[in-house]
Amino acid sequence: MDKVKVEELKIQLQQLLNEAQEFFRKIPPPQLYAAIGVVLFTVLLFLIIRLFKRRSSNTILLTGLSGSGKTVLFYQLRDGSSHQGTVTSMEPNEGTFVLHSETSKKGKMKPVHIVDVPGHSRLRAKLDKFLSQAAGIVFVVDAVEFLPNVRAASEYLYDILTKASVVKKKIPLLILCNKVDKVTAHTKDFIRRQLEKEIDKLRASRTSLSSADITNEYSLGVPGEAFAFSQCQNKVTVAEASGLTNDISQLEQFIREYVKA
Amino acid sequence: MLEQLLIFTRGGLILWTYKELGNALRGSPIDTLIRSCLLEERSGAASYNYDAPGASYTLKWTFHNELGLVFVAVYQRILHLLYVDDLLSMVKQEFSDIYDPKRTSYDDFDDIFQQLKKEAEARAEEMKKSKQVGKPVNNQLGRKQGQVQNGIADGGNKKKSGGESGNDGRDGDKFRGRPLENGNLNNNHVGKGEVPAAVNANGKENGISNTGAFDVNKLQKLRSKGGKKTETVVNKVSKPEPKKKITKKNRVWDDSPPESKLDFTDPVSENGEQNISVVAADQGESMMDKEEIISSDSESEEEDTGKDNKTDKQKKGWFSSMFQSIAGKSNLEKSDLEPALKALKDRLMTKNVAEEIAEKLCESVAASLEGKRLASFTRISSTVQAAMEDALVRILTPRRSIDILRDVHSAKEQGKPYVVVFVGVNGVGKSTNLAKVAYWLLQHNVNVMMAACDTFRSGAVEQLRTHARRLQIPIFEKGYEKDPAIVAKEAIQEASRNGSDVVLVDTAGRMQDNEPLMRALSKLIYVNNPDLVLFVGEALVGNDAVDQLSKFNQKLGDLSPSPNPRLIDGILLTKFDTIDDKVGAALSMVYISGAPVMFVGCGQSYTDLKKLNVKSIVKTLLK
Repeated sequence: MDKVKVEELKIQLQQLLNEAQEFFRKIPPPQLYAAIGVVLFTVLLFLIIRLFKRRSSNTILLTGLSGSGKTVLFYQLRDGSSHQGTVTSMEPNEGTFVLHSETSKKGKMKPVHIVDVPGHSRLRAKLDKFLSQAAGIVFVVDAVEFLPNVRAASEYLYDILTKASVVKKKIPLLILCNKVDKVTAHTKDFIRRQLEKEIDKLRASRTSLSSADITNEYSLGVPGEAFAFSQCQNKVTVAEASGLTNDISQLEQFIREYVKA
Repeated sequence: MLEQLLIFTRGGLILWTYKELGNALRGSPIDTLIRSCLLEERSGAASYNYDAPGASYTLKWTFHNELGLVFVAVYQRILHLLYVDDLLSMVKQEFSDIYDPKRTSYDDFDDIFQQLKKEAEARAEEMKKSKQVGKPVNNQLGRKQGQVQNGIADGGNKKKSGGESGNDGRDGDKFRGRPLENGNLNNNHVGKGEVPAAVNANGKENGISNTGAFDVNKLQKLRSKGGKKTETVVNKVSKPEPKKKITKKNRVWDDSPPESKLDFTDPVSENGEQNISVVAADQGESMMDKEEIISSDSESEEEDTGKDNKTDKQKKGWFSSMFQSIAGKSNLEKSDLEPALKALKDRLMTKNVAEEIAEKLCESVAASLEGKRLASFTRISSTVQAAMEDALVRILTPRRSIDILRDVHSAKEQGKPYVVVFVGVNGVGKSTNLAKVAYWLLQHNVNVMMAACDTFRSGAVEQLRTHARRLQIPIFEKGYEKDPAIVAKEAIQEASRNGSDVVLVDTAGRMQDNEPLMRALSKLIYVNNPDLVLFVGEALVGNDAVDQLSKFNQKLGDLSPSPNPRLIDGILLTKFDTIDDKVGAALSMVYISGAPVMFVGCGQSYTDLKKLNVKSIVKTLLK
C-alpha cells in the first residue's frame, strides 16, 4: 500500500516539476531576472533594517533596590521634577522621550527609551524582559542607607553582572550613588569598595546547589584575585546623583555616552 | 477622621493627595501596604492594618486596572469609618474622568474631592440612621429632628435634606416590608429631584468659604456631575434587585447551597462598594451557607454550575464570541472572568494547591484584571492565565536571600556558629534532610556539627549518630529525657569551643496542635535564638499545609516569652520526587508563611538536595 502511494506521489511531483519548467521557459528572461532582483532587494533591505535597529538600541534601564530612588530619577529625566513624591512601584515605568534638560537645546535630539524596573525582589523577574534590548544599565544605590542594604544591593548587582545577556553584549553599567545631597551620604569610592568586597564574598558562596539553577551562567572576575569592577567584561563606572534636588548631570552624561544624540 | 487619601499610578508616581489634612503619617504605611499586601497577591482582602510606633492605621484601597491607578485611604484603626469604601469608589469614578496619562498634577481635584467627601459622610450618616430605623420610635424621632432642623436652617444643606428623604424612603419601604432597599430607594429619591438643589447648596457653601469668589462654570460642572453620579447610582441599584429575587426562587427550587454562594459574591461585585455596609449587615445567613459549602462535598455541585455557565456561553454563539475576540472586549467584568478563574482554580487544586490558597489567589487575580481592556485577538482565559503566571512567579520568588553559605560566612566573620533549627510535624524527614544539608555544607568546606535535640522519640539520637558517623562530622548528644532547649544551648557552646561554623539542630516532630510540645519548641527557639528556623514540610501534603504552617507560626508567636518572637524563616520541601506534577504544596506553603523554599529534598541519597526552580514550578502548576 505504502509503496503504491509513494509512487503516486513521485509521479505527481514529477508532473508538477515539468509544468514549472514549462512555465519558466515561457517567461522571457528579462522579466525573470527582474523578479529575482526584486525579491533579493527586499530581503536585503529587511536584513539591513534589522541590523541597523539592533545597533542603535536606545534603551537605558534604571535598576536597584526598592527605595533607592529610581522612579524619582525617571521623572527627573523626563519632566525635570519629582512631582508630589513617589511610592513603591508595582509596575515598570517606561517612556521614550527627549531628556528634559535637552528640550531647550537647539537641534533635534534623539529620544531615549528609559525603563524604571521596580526594585522589589518579587518583581525582579521583569528585568529579564528588558535586559536583552538595553544599551546601558544604571544601578541606583541609596548612598545614605547604604550599609544596612549593602548585602542585598550587592546580591542584586551580582545577579545583573552575571546575566548572560549582559556579559555577552558587554552592556555598560553605571553604579549611581543617589541621595548625595544628604549630609550622611557615603562617598562613591567607599560604596564602590564595599560593593567589590561583598561581591568578592558572594563569588565564593554563589556556587549553585545543583545545575537546576541556571541564573548565574558566568563567573565574575579573575579567580584567585580580589574582585574589582575593572575585571568585568563590560564597562562598570561609578557616579553620583541626587534625584530630589535634580542634580543628575552625571547620569545624563552616561546616557548620552551610550545613546548618541 | 480620614488621615490621608492618595492616588498614585502602579508605576509609583503620586498623582494627588488630600492636602487639607496636612498631618504627616507616622512610618510609611503606603509603602508597607504595597510591599507586604499588594505585591504578595493579597489584594483580594478588604483592608490592611498597619502598626508603627505611636500609630495604628487601617488602609483601604481600590484599583482602576484599565488606567493603572491605585486609590488608597488611610485612617486611624480605632475609628470605624463607614464611608471610606463609598468614598474610594466615588473618587475612583470622578478621577478616572479627568485622568490623563500625560498630566501629573491634579490640583483642581481638590474641590471635587471636598464635594465627594461630604456626600460620602452624609450617606454614612444616613446608613447609621437607617440601621436604627428597625425600631419605629427612633424613626419618628429622627424624622422630627430632621424636620425641625430643616425649619431652622433655611433651605437646608445636603445632609439634612438627604436625611429627610431617607426617612421618606423608609416609610415607603415599610409598606412593602422590604427593609434592605432602604438605602437604595433613598438614593433614588435624591436622584430624581433633590440632588441638584442640594449640590447647589453645597457648592454655595464652598464658594463662601473661598472668599465669595466662586466660578459659576465650576458650579455647573459640579452640579452636572452630581446629577450624573446619582443616576449611575440609580442604575446600579436597579440591577441587583431582580437578581436577588431570582436567588430566592432558586434556593427554594433546588435547595443547593452553591447557588446561594454565587449570589453572595454577586451583589457585592455588582453594586461595587456603594452600599457595602448595608449588604454586610444583611448577609448573616449566606455567610453561614458559605461555610457549609466549604465543609460539604462541594465539588460535584461546582461542576454543575460550571456546566450551566458553559451552556450559557454556547447560547451566545460562536460568531459573537469571535467578533469579540477580534475587536477586543471593552472592559472585563467580574462575571466575564468568573468561568476562566473557576477553571484555573480547579486546575490549581488538582495540582494539590490548598483550596483556601487557590481561592485567595483567584480573588487577587480577579482584582488585578477587573476593568482592564482585553486586547484584541486574546481570549479571557489566556489573559487570566498570564496574570496568574505573573502572580505565581511573584509569590515564589524569594523575598529574602536564600544564600545560606553567604550567611554562614558572615557569621564566621563575627566568630560565632550559624545555628539552623529544623522543625516540622512527625515523619516528614527532618533528620534525613538535616543530614543532606550537612553533606552539602561539608562540600563547601564548612565545619558542621549536629545537635541531637530530639529527646522524645526513641531511636532518634541513634539515627542521627549513624548519619554523623557516615559523614564523619561531630555530633552533640545528651541522650533522652533531657530538655531539648538546654541540649541545644550546650551544643552551641560546644560548637564555638571546637570551632564549628554551623550547628544543625534536630528537633522532635510534633503536630501543630500539640500545645506542650509547641511550647517546648518555642522555648528552644527563644533560648537559643537560631539564625535560621527551617520548617520541614513534605510535598505530599495538601490542604493541611496551610494548617501546619499557619499553626506553627502562630504557636511560635503566641507561646514565645519574648515580645517579638522568631517565626519560620525558610521552608525545606521534602519528598519532592514522589509527587510527579502535584507541586502545589510549594505554593501553599510559600503563600501562607511568606517564607521562601530554601531547599528541596528529592531522593534518598545525600546528594538529593536541590534549589527550587521557580520557572518550572510555575509551568507545572499551570499545565
